[in-house]
Amino acid sequence: MAAPCRHVGHHIKRNGRFLRINLDQLFASRGLRWTSALQQQGEEVHEESKEPIVIPRKKSWSSEAVLEALASTVHRDPTAYPYQFQDDPYLSPRTSSEFKLFSLSQESGRAAAKYFVSNNPKFFTKDFAEPHIPCLMPESVTLRLEEVSEEALKERITLRKVSAAVEMYDQLLQAGTSVSMETTQELLDLICLYCDKNPVQEGAPEVEDAEEAGEETKRRKPKGRRAADHLRTSWKENNNAERIFNLLPEKDSRCYSALIRGMVKHGAYSKAFSLYTDLLNNRLSADVHTFNALISAVPDVRDKFNERWDLITELLNQMNEQKVRPNLLTFNSVLKALRRCGFLAKTYAPQTLNEMKALGIAPSLATYDHILAVFYKSGSSGPNNTDIIQDMLTELEGTSFTCRDPHDVYFFSSAMRICLDSKDLELGYKVHSLVEVGDNWRLLGDSYQQSVYYGRFFSLLCMMEHIDVVLKWYSRIIPSLYYPNPQGMRDLLQALDTDGRLDLLPTIWKDIKTLGHDNKVDLVEELLSLMAREEHSPEVQESFAACALDVKSVFDGRSSMEWSTSSLSHVTTLLLRANKLQQAWDMLLLFKAKNRVPSEVLLNNFLSVCQSSGAPKRAVELVQLAAAFCLPATPVLAKTALAEFQLTDEQRSILSEFEAAPEKETE
Amino acid sequence: MASLTRNVFLFLGRTNVSGLGIKEITNRVTYATALFANSTSGNKGLPDRGGRGSVGRRPRREPGEPRTEKMPLDQDWTSVYPSATSFKSNAVPLPVRMGYPVKRGVPPEKKGNLELLKIPNFLHLTPAAIKKHCEALKPFCTEWPSALDTDAKCDEHFPIKVESTDYVCAGPSVRNPSARIVHLKVKLSRFNLDDHARKKMLKLVGERYCKDSDILSITTDSCPLRQQNYEYAKYLLTVLYHESWKIEAWEAEKTAADMEEYSWEDSLSQKNMLDTLLRMKVAGEGEDAEVRKQLLEREDVQDYKDSVVRLKNEGASESSMLQYKEAVRKVFNV
Repeated sequence: MAAPCRHVGHHIKRNGRFLRINLDQLFASRGLRWTSALQQQGEEVHEESKEPIVIPRKKSWSSEAVLEALASTVHRDPTAYPYQFQDDPYLSPRTSSEFKLFSLSQESGRAAAKYFVSNNPKFFTKDFAEPHIPCLMPESVTLRLEEVSEEALKERITLRKVSAAVEMYDQLLQAGTSVSMETTQELLDLICLYCDKNPVQEGAPEVEDAEEAGEETKRRKPKGRRAADHLRTSWKENNNAERIFNLLPEKDSRCYSALIRGMVKHGAYSKAFSLYTDLLNNRLSADVHTFNALISAVPDVRDKFNERWDLITELLNQMNEQKVRPNLLTFNSVLKALRRCGFLAKTYAPQTLNEMKALGIAPSLATYDHILAVFYKSGSSGPNNTDIIQDMLTELEGTSFTCRDPHDVYFFSSAMRICLDSKDLELGYKVHSLVEVGDNWRLLGDSYQQSVYYGRFFSLLCMMEHIDVVLKWYSRIIPSLYYPNPQGMRDLLQALDTDGRLDLLPTIWKDIKTLGHDNKVDLVEELLSLMAREEHSPEVQESFAACALDVKSVFDGRSSMEWSTSSLSHVTTLLLRANKLQQAWDMLLLFKAKNRVPSEVLLNNFLSVCQSSGAPKRAVELVQLAAAFCLPATPVLAKTALAEFQLTDEQRSILSEFEAAPEKETE
Repeated sequence: MASLTRNVFLFLGRTNVSGLGIKEITNRVTYATALFANSTSGNKGLPDRGGRGSVGRRPRREPGEPRTEKMPLDQDWTSVYPSATSFKSNAVPLPVRMGYPVKRGVPPEKKGNLELLKIPNFLHLTPAAIKKHCEALKPFCTEWPSALDTDAKCDEHFPIKVESTDYVCAGPSVRNPSARIVHLKVKLSRFNLDDHARKKMLKLVGERYCKDSDILSITTDSCPLRQQNYEYAKYLLTVLYHESWKIEAWEAEKTAADMEEYSWEDSLSQKNMLDTLLRMKVAGEGEDAEVRKQLLEREDVQDYKDSVVRLKNEGASESSMLQYKEAVRKVFNV
């Protein structure tokens, strides 16, 4: 930038001398300044200025640095819907199932679009993006090479078409052409990764039925997970991978590695170990990934704890002998296997950690998760020593994590579980502050894991915190980060009850309705009982009555929800307290319709409200209703009615009838 | 029943395709019959908008309340509107109204208001947001040289000012063709120009010169890249300067009509004045030329000259007319 200016300056300077001669007459008064018209930028010391002008050097930065700096001024908006949805209350999800449905449908739409673009590349040739965005251009999904050649085989491998690749390989062998070692290894990798099935695509999914899963897979099913189990594949006896492997003239360690890892991934553990002994017999050495796979398979091939540990140590020693350097995943697999070694874990886990430190491998969140699992058994009550987790959190404070192991995502929910079990609020806050550091929120996992984490955090808060703080957190995390389940709402109701903030119940009811939990009868009944338990101030009573009417309309709207005696009486009581006589009367009729019997207290209450609002006709009707139910309290009611109300003669006669009736029956 | 009608419709449609003349009429007829049949087929096909419908149908989804209800008063607005987005009525907690008022009423409310969506809004650039942005951008800046503390000093050391704009847009392409435009501004007084050079420069430059502020501004956008436009602007400046100093042969043919300002010497006004004065002084004093020169050197004639020059150059204003009047009176001793 300075260079062209200097050039201009030079130009002028060269003419400057020429100009000076002509100009003195006209410009003499202007002083020396004007002799050189344009000066160079910066480097000259002017005669008239006192100090030199120092132009600092220009800073340079990456192309996104400015945008990143501006983005750092912005934080999360607690009322906003998740960013992938439209910012409209009608169009954004309100319950967790809606959230899943909407995000899956978005993904499905995207996949459909990708499918169209990739399958019709001739319509999508124009490139609007500047600079070029490769992932938006159509990618090749169809095979171009049809002839039997190694190129075609390589193409099928890159396009992940497993069965086509196997076919091509067989054809090549039949034709007598030799396939290069590298291609064969890649083919084996492909087959073992996908367990000899084509990967599920946008077309018809080839779902393996779960009944074929062997016993081994059944044992290894993780607790409480969902439909992913149906897609779990099982390693079939003598499938293409094994067949091709056996046909190979010389097998090198990479082929063995592919087979072993595939077997471990798809459940054939003992086979994996036998193949490993094969490998040892052939005096080959395995690589670190193979060892990781074998270590993770140890608990499935041995039953007793010490046998398992012995096998692990044996594998580690062999690793040492073969001069294979362990990595983070090795130690994580050791710890994961130790989790299933019972009491041995507490002795050996710290040793493993020390080994890690000695090798200079920084532990990841998965490591910490395994350690927590070892030392804090779930469900165990009683004073748990929280020292370990305290130390761990103090050490990890302020650290920013990246995902280095797929198991990292379980750390935060297990840590929160421990906090919940030990009812330690400070610890919970510490864990949450760790989540809020930088990008750590990404390590909370998928939406299910996230909901588990926030559910536990919220229960802890409801249990231990003051209601104002609970409400503050409620507005912060619900529903933008977490859709509470009925248990969570129940915890919140309890917290409101404990701190005496029952006046907030109508707003909570609105939230329950939005979340779709208004079809859970026990939750609604609990809400009603909390509202009806005590008398409150008139405005609160009014809001409760409105809420009760809303509950009634919900019950009426759904055929699956059944009224119970308690819920009916609660609603009636609430309406009575707000002096809504007509609606209360409708409720009593509803009692009759649903074959439930109102209690004596309720009827007395009704009578007194009738009296205060002066509706004698109602009182008579009430006594008639009570008689229809054959309640023992009928004569008492009749007597009170006669005594306290201004009645017509007709009404009096009706009432006196009831006064007498039961006596007749007892006779 | 509905399906039967549909089939009938199709059948009718097909038979009428051949008859071009009556096609339109019959098509309308078929359309009408189909519609009529559908409406009599009962509620099964058509969704019932208003009512609840029978048991087992999904209840109508409530529109939901806007999220402004949940916004606390002390929220961080810069996080709600971090970047330029269109107006979202459920995110802005202000009761704005916009549009032509309904008959005998008020402008429509913000919910579903297209007028509010059409106009640009600066909700993402509140003073708080700008403050935060400035703080975040400070590390990218170097410090200002301490010697340049006044505007005058800046002008003196850096007389040429170059301006160009960068654009940021979230779209398929980050390029913006307007980013190539370069404006170069410089004060003409900083140049070494004599009278001729200045006039020639002004003639060459034309509209790019602003007389009031004495700034020459060159805007270049003919090249596709900003660097090219910048160099072209500098080249133009250099060339203008040198060209204005050169005196071409054909410049001698400059006529009075080309002159930028009026000069009294050898003009009609001077001739008229001198003739008038000569005729007034009847007593012949000598030769013509000498008398003229003497007359010219008289003070009132000089005043007259000044007033005429002023009138011609500056135009007729109150004060210039007065000056002319005074000068004329003095010359003719009126």
